[in-house]
Amino acid sequence: MDAAVSTLPLRLALVGVPNCGKTALFNRLTGSRQKVANYPGVTVERREGERTASDGRTLRVLDLPGTYSLKPTTLDEAITRDVLLGRVADAPAPDLVICVVDAVHLPIGLRLALEVKRVGLPMVLALNRMDVARRRGVKIDVARLSAELGVPVLPTVAVKRGGADALIEAIEPTRWPAARSVVAGQVAAQVTTNGRDPRGEDAEQTQADLRGVLSAIGYSPPVENHWAARVDALLLHPLAGILVLGVVMFLIFQAVFSWAAPLMDGIDSGMAALGGWVKAHMSEGPMASLLADGVIAGAGAVLVFLPQIVILFFFILVLEDSGYLPRAAYLLDRLMGWVGLSGRAFIPLLSSHACAIPGVMATRTIPSWRDRLTTIMVAPLMTCSARLPVYGLLIAAFIPREAIGPFNLQGLVLFALYAAGIVSSFAVAFVMKQFAGTRRYSPLMLELPDFQWPNLPNLLLGLWERVRIFVSRVGGIILALMILLWVLAAYPEPPPGATGPAIQYSFAGKLGALLQQLFEPIGFNWQISIALVPGLAAREVAVGALGTVYAMSATGDDLTAQLEPVIASGWSLATACSLLAWYVFAPQCLSTLAVVKRETNSWRYPIIMAGYLFALAYLAAFVTYRAVAAWS
Amino acid sequence: MLQQALVAVFVLAAAVFTSWKLMPARWRLRSLLGIDAWAAKHPQLGGWRERALKPRIARAGGIGCDGCAANTPRPPRSPR
Repeated sequence: MDAAVSTLPLRLALVGVPNCGKTALFNRLTGSRQKVANYPGVTVERREGERTASDGRTLRVLDLPGTYSLKPTTLDEAITRDVLLGRVADAPAPDLVICVVDAVHLPIGLRLALEVKRVGLPMVLALNRMDVARRRGVKIDVARLSAELGVPVLPTVAVKRGGADALIEAIEPTRWPAARSVVAGQVAAQVTTNGRDPRGEDAEQTQADLRGVLSAIGYSPPVENHWAARVDALLLHPLAGILVLGVVMFLIFQAVFSWAAPLMDGIDSGMAALGGWVKAHMSEGPMASLLADGVIAGAGAVLVFLPQIVILFFFILVLEDSGYLPRAAYLLDRLMGWVGLSGRAFIPLLSSHACAIPGVMATRTIPSWRDRLTTIMVAPLMTCSARLPVYGLLIAAFIPREAIGPFNLQGLVLFALYAAGIVSSFAVAFVMKQFAGTRRYSPLMLELPDFQWPNLPNLLLGLWERVRIFVSRVGGIILALMILLWVLAAYPEPPPGATGPAIQYSFAGKLGALLQQLFEPIGFNWQISIALVPGLAAREVAVGALGTVYAMSATGDDLTAQLEPVIASGWSLATACSLLAWYVFAPQCLSTLAVVKRETNSWRYPIIMAGYLFALAYLAAFVTYRAVAAWS
Repeated sequence: MLQQALVAVFVLAAAVFTSWKLMPARWRLRSLLGIDAWAAKHPQLGGWRERALKPRIARAGGIGCDGCAANTPRPPRSPR
């Protein structure tokens, strides 16, 4: 082999059934921080990372979506098949396949391994979760398995440091002459000429081969976990299970408000003190105003909500890692089917609580186009983390910090708002079902993962990622938008002899006055109307915009006032409730619309989505405003 | 005067950054490819091109999770 070929990067692909630990291994091999969770369907597109081999060569590692077979039924499974068969234009077939098999559930993974082996690519088999398999009495003769399959078999524990060392040794190019001596084009040719298309394989033959291998390696299945079976009997009970789910979600929202309050107060006071310090120590002028009114009042108003986001995601990550979420999906399957959603929509809709973008992308696991489209259209109704600052601000300003029995009233309201998002998504799906006509219900087929204690490093990493994303948004796009909003709110300067706040004479003030005519029927004042415009970039920007607009509107002693007391005294309860209702529906996130365009390959659906969500938001805000105004 | 000049710089930077972040992904990718083609003609920019520009182009090719900063793969600190 010539020198040019030997310096080409090697392409490695991780293949396996869903939830067998591919992404954990990918992270271990590449040092990446891709999302890992204890449920199937987390990876819906190929991801690529790199590591450097000991001889200096680059190993490009592909993490492929999980699949039970190379005969795909969903888009994400088709990606895996196409990459393996070298059918993707910019991704030649891999030089080496790492087939990941969960040792606890060996037969299901081994069946896929037999199919992958038939493709004809060089392969190693990673027998993952070997620690759990041993504990549960699974017997596997690893050497015999390697001999039966004719490929190296390496036991791994992907979630533990050093748990993939044997695999890392095995994928060194010096240990893998077959892969080193083959260039990408030759591999593709090999697949075309020698490898049979695995879709044509006889399923019964594969099953017979599987039985033969299992028998040869002396496989014994895991001992049944009676404790887990008893917990499952409770959690999957049609009534008790729903009750437990409701209680769990309720307690999470209670904790979000109760635990976060002291930290939020601390950040809020810190920001107010910083703004006051800047004003006191800088000579009066545009720079002082930009820092205090634009940067600190704007970005600081959003940063205050960091503790709530951390607490919410702590619980979500714990539920993900423990294996509870697929059980919740199973419980809600019948209800979701009734309103016209596929049971497979649960994971995408759950992901949408963090952000609608991964939620929309996760719909690739839904085989039916109609079901997938319905899920995409309702995903933005789930309360994403960007709405939390808006909800948090309004709840803190208008809902008293008091208890109703053992419960925190503010937590109750937050729970109700999250529930409103879920209920409205079900209602919209139900309406869409009526328009689409009667459909055959496609039942949920979901492998329930084993219960496990949340992995602490995984948990901390997940939390750190959420903090990093939130803080980088505050320090990035939110900060930049606040600076631009400050310019609009500060210029042109008021004419000589003007008596009102300077912002009234600015571009932003004039724009707000114009928009107020549109939003007056739903109770929004000109400050809210201005805040909605930069809020189109991302929902939480509206809170920062309110911070800046009110800081610029303040005069005299109010200059350093914090946002929460200002709106509490300046807005009516009806206006606050109207804005909350608006945010349950409003599609104020351009990125989500862009992803919907990409996933549906059409502008039609994002336009329909934006249109129906704006109409719903306006209607809900109008009804809420009128009802609360009449009642109060 | 100095305050006004500083404010102008901050506002200009914010305007460029916001436009970049909010522009459609296709335009962003096209702009990056244009910068890459220009940088390719200047050998002294080779290091910057490999280190900073290429990963951005790779990320700009996608959207959502592909393009999200949270999903930036990081190589291990030292090869094993």
